[in-house]
Amino acid sequence: MARKSTLLPEVAVVESIRQETPNIKTFRVVSPGGGKPFEHIPGQCAMLSTPPVGEAIFSITSSPTEKEHLDFSIVQTGTVTNYLHEIEEGFEIGIRGPLGNGFPVEEVKGKDLLFIGGGIGLAPLRSFINYCFDNREDYGKIDILYGARTPDDMIQKKDLFELWPQQPNTDVYLTVDKECEGWDGKVALAPHYCEELAFTPENKVTVTCGPPIMIKFVLEALDRMGFTPDQVITTLELRMKCGVGKCGRCNIGEKYVCIDGPVFTYAQLLEMPPEY
Amino acid sequence: MKKVQKEKLEDLFERLAGDGVLYLPLEEDGVVNFAPWKKGARVNLEALNTVLPPKRAIFPQTETYMRFETDGKKLQIEQVEPVEGNYFLFGVRPCDMAGIKVLDKVFLDEPEDDIYSRRRQAGTILSLGCNDPHVSCFCSAFDLEPGFAPDADVALWDVGEVLLWKPLSEKGEKLTSSVEDLLEDASAEEERAAEEQRNSAAATVAAAAREHGWNVEGVEEALQDMFEAELWDKLYRRCLGCGICTYICPTCHCFDVEDFGKWQEGERFRCWDSCMFEEFTLHASGENPRPTQKERVRQRFMHKLCYYPSNFEGLYACVGCGRCVRQCPVSIDITQVIKEVGGVKSGS
Amino acid sequence: MKNLQDTIREIAAQSLARGEVELVIGWEKGDLWWQSYPAFIEEEKEADRLIWDPLCVPNLSRYLLQELSEMDEKKIALFVKGCDALAFNQLLQDNRTVRERVVLYGIPCDGLVDPSKLEREGLDRDLQEVERDGEELVLKAAAGEEKRVPAKDYLYDKCLTCRYPNPVAYDQMLGETVPVEPEERFTGVRKLEELDYEDRFSYWAEQFSRCIRCFACRNVCPACSCIKCVFDLQEPRWLGKATEPSENAFYHIIRAYHVAGRCVDCGECSRVCPVDIPLQELNRKIILDINELYGEYDAGVDPEQEAPLITYKTDDPAAFTES
Ligand SMILES: Cc1cc2nc3c(=O)[nH]c(=O)nc-3n(C[C@H](O)[C@H](O)[C@H](O)COP(=O)(O)OP(=O)(O)OC[C@H]3O[C@@H](n4cnc5c(N)ncnc54)[C@H](O)[C@@H]3O)c2cc1C
Ligand code: SF4
Ligand code: SF4
Ligand code: SF4
Ligand code: SF4
Ligand code: FES
Repeated sequence: MARKSTLLPEVAVVESIRQETPNIKTFRVVSPGGGKPFEHIPGQCAMLSTPPVGEAIFSITSSPTEKEHLDFSIVQTGTVTNYLHEIEEGFEIGIRGPLGNGFPVEEVKGKDLLFIGGGIGLAPLRSFINYCFDNREDYGKIDILYGARTPDDMIQKKDLFELWPQQPNTDVYLTVDKECEGWDGKVALAPHYCEELAFTPENKVTVTCGPPIMIKFVLEALDRMGFTPDQVITTLELRMKCGVGKCGRCNIGEKYVCIDGPVFTYAQLLEMPPEY
Repeated sequence: MKKVQKEKLEDLFERLAGDGVLYLPLEEDGVVNFAPWKKGARVNLEALNTVLPPKRAIFPQTETYMRFETDGKKLQIEQVEPVEGNYFLFGVRPCDMAGIKVLDKVFLDEPEDDIYSRRRQAGTILSLGCNDPHVSCFCSAFDLEPGFAPDADVALWDVGEVLLWKPLSEKGEKLTSSVEDLLEDASAEEERAAEEQRNSAAATVAAAAREHGWNVEGVEEALQDMFEAELWDKLYRRCLGCGICTYICPTCHCFDVEDFGKWQEGERFRCWDSCMFEEFTLHASGENPRPTQKERVRQRFMHKLCYYPSNFEGLYACVGCGRCVRQCPVSIDITQVIKEVGGVKSGS
Repeated sequence: MKNLQDTIREIAAQSLARGEVELVIGWEKGDLWWQSYPAFIEEEKEADRLIWDPLCVPNLSRYLLQELSEMDEKKIALFVKGCDALAFNQLLQDNRTVRERVVLYGIPCDGLVDPSKLEREGLDRDLQEVERDGEELVLKAAAGEEKRVPAKDYLYDKCLTCRYPNPVAYDQMLGETVPVEPEERFTGVRKLEELDYEDRFSYWAEQFSRCIRCFACRNVCPACSCIKCVFDLQEPRWLGKATEPSENAFYHIIRAYHVAGRCVDCGECSRVCPVDIPLQELNRKIILDINELYGEYDAGVDPEQEAPLITYKTDDPAAFTES
């Protein structure tokens, strides 16, 4: 048999499915013989294939320190995601990865970390966050700020409410957009809350991911708070097909988000044409 | 140098076709395109540029690379072998050969695209020098020679009754020895004739380049600061957003991936796609980072003349074949863009 | 008589200067002889870019779709040849343009030059400019040389069969009306009709097999004015992207039916097709059928006229249900 094509997925099994919110489910994926389909670093992605309806790219939300599986939190939006939301545990799908550059987990060792996530944007951050907790001594203070429209729209509630707040030298701040019944926590948009919490930039790196509009205001807020562009890391989402820098649709200027990204520092983004 | 008598071409074609697929410029309903040769096919070695570039043989418009079967929860995936076997590309013009080199950089760069790579390796390319370039040819702007393609496996020149034949690579040598009996030694006179034709073709294109001010020097650097330039506001307005300029371009390589089939079985293929289409970058949310034709037209020229050269050591992703210049229904002309951006007149 | 090009420039400059319109759409010239393409003029001083020559083929009316929606209440002046005027009327009938916001300057058209016909005979050598002089074309070469050839031999086929060279819609007509002497336009269709089913099928299958699905034929068409084209829909995905026989045939048959009764026979689809698929013949077959079933109807001639395919009559023929 000839060498395997970069576009050819492997078969994998959806081991378990958890409903996170009305339109988000988390899928645990393993190889048919058990174990992880491949190793990855936080921030990397994979193409999930659901023949005959195609292929789409998703962030790996589990930490590389979880040895037995890969997890994906997926919003129902179109053909592939509809299919994924319909299947049951035990279904086989295709998987191709790891794709993308991933977070600079080595470079930020020794720093304090501020994670700011919105909605499904927690998915890539979670991989990094759990990686930090599993290598706790490598990183300084960890602050996690997460916002969702309503409490029902929050994903990974066990992490947010139970596991992460128990971690040493860690604070978790949760907020929702509007007042609602049963929520006695913070009500504010994530960027506002971030400014209110007055994080200081010294020895800190911020990692943010969420809807474009949130990222825009978070970047403005961080700027006012004195964070320099190279202290801010974010991930981009462009339409992708190949994931390996060939199909030509995910470029921003000369950079291809699928291989040069999806993780960029804000300093890098400022160098690129504003086409995302 | 060798030569083949034109009257023996039919024999040569038959021989090559027995050894693999022979792609040649064939004429059908007045349209000349590279297509597999069959006995009696209408070969047209006079036409300068085929409508579609020969990249089709290496990077087909639609190409299945995977088959799948589902059975309840089970899924089976199988790679479809991309290569049917050996093939020959006969009569490739020097600009189109350079176009293939542009594709090579993309597909053979890490991670190597093995679908492309295997097709590429299975082919032997025989290029044909141009004697009589068209007014829209501007290959010389990219330091290419209309009369000669150094990257081909065999170089051919049409000097009247014969085609001169010069192997340029190992593959070319191998092919040459396998058809030795159909070749003869070229005379010094014929070699001189070919040389003269090469020079005169080069002079023709160079003169046109001077006259029209096609000079790509500094275009990449200039474009780096021209993302917001007024040029794009003017240029896009007449653009129809069709796929002609990208599909007929020997260097365009963008593709889409789709599945085709029923629930139980089907295949996955890739197919040409174009940055001129709205759907190319459309997001699930309905948002589009290139919302109007302006951004798309800019992307096309920026990619060819700025982004690609930034990624590949200054090599432009245009080879001056002139196809888009001739075929755009509303005459959006890359040479006008080069002129406007560069502003430097070559020569004089 | 003043030359038409001067008149065009003068009128464009005037209507911009007087503020009657904010945009004038005409044609301008590129570097190479055949390049006469749509020009968008917003300032009086730019009006001199406008030209008129026998290569001004792109149909301008379609640009109203893009320009009117972007410009709100602004008015646009448009130069219209016979086919552009038909296209305009069709857009009007399809409710895709607004009569009050458009000023039409009519250009009686005595036919446009098909560059490929000149090329076929090598007449494009060193060519710099093509002019029309009565029944002749004046081919001006680089070194000041001139050659005269009979115009008729080098016009687009679609121009030879044109039945409305004098614009049917205009606010002001520029220039004298031209005589209307069309050749029979259904000759090609009749020939195809004579083929038996198998041969007709393989004829079209072969034509469609060349299609690269660039969508130029759709994008240039004044009857293809849908806001979201069915072929572009992502969900449901009617048309797959593979260029293979069934998808290509699906594209072409649906395209032809979607413009049925609204195709103004301007022939732009055939002109722009890079692989020369004779799309106009397909459209004309449908025009011919409509004429035979429902009586003569020319789309684009009168926007008030009842369009046969969208008007229900109790005595409509229903041949297809009877056979
Ligand atoms: C680097 C990266 C990481 C991502 N991570 C996640 C994740 O962790 N969880 C998650 O739920 N989603 C993630 N996405 C978004 C996800 O890829 C899209 O939601 C998915 O492709 C939609 O596929 P579909 O087949 O269901 O929709 P389709 O039916 O293909 O498309 C529906 C609509 O989605 C558009 N679309 C197709 N691909 C994308 C894309 N990649 N991005 C945006 N719009 C697209 C189409 O244009 C169409 O309008 C990520 C995207 C990228 C680029
Ligand atoms: S530039 Fe010309 S060929 Fe390209 S999309 Fe626009 S109209 Fe079509
Ligand atoms: S951009 Fe135009 S001229 Fe350049 S290689 Fe492509 S088709 Fe040829
Ligand atoms: S981005 Fe556009 S110009 Fe560049 S290769 Fe792709 S289709 Fe061609
Ligand atoms: S213009 Fe020609 S090639 Fe392009 S889609 Fe239409 S028929 Fe096909
Ligand atoms: S997704 Fe194909 S190049 Fe990035």
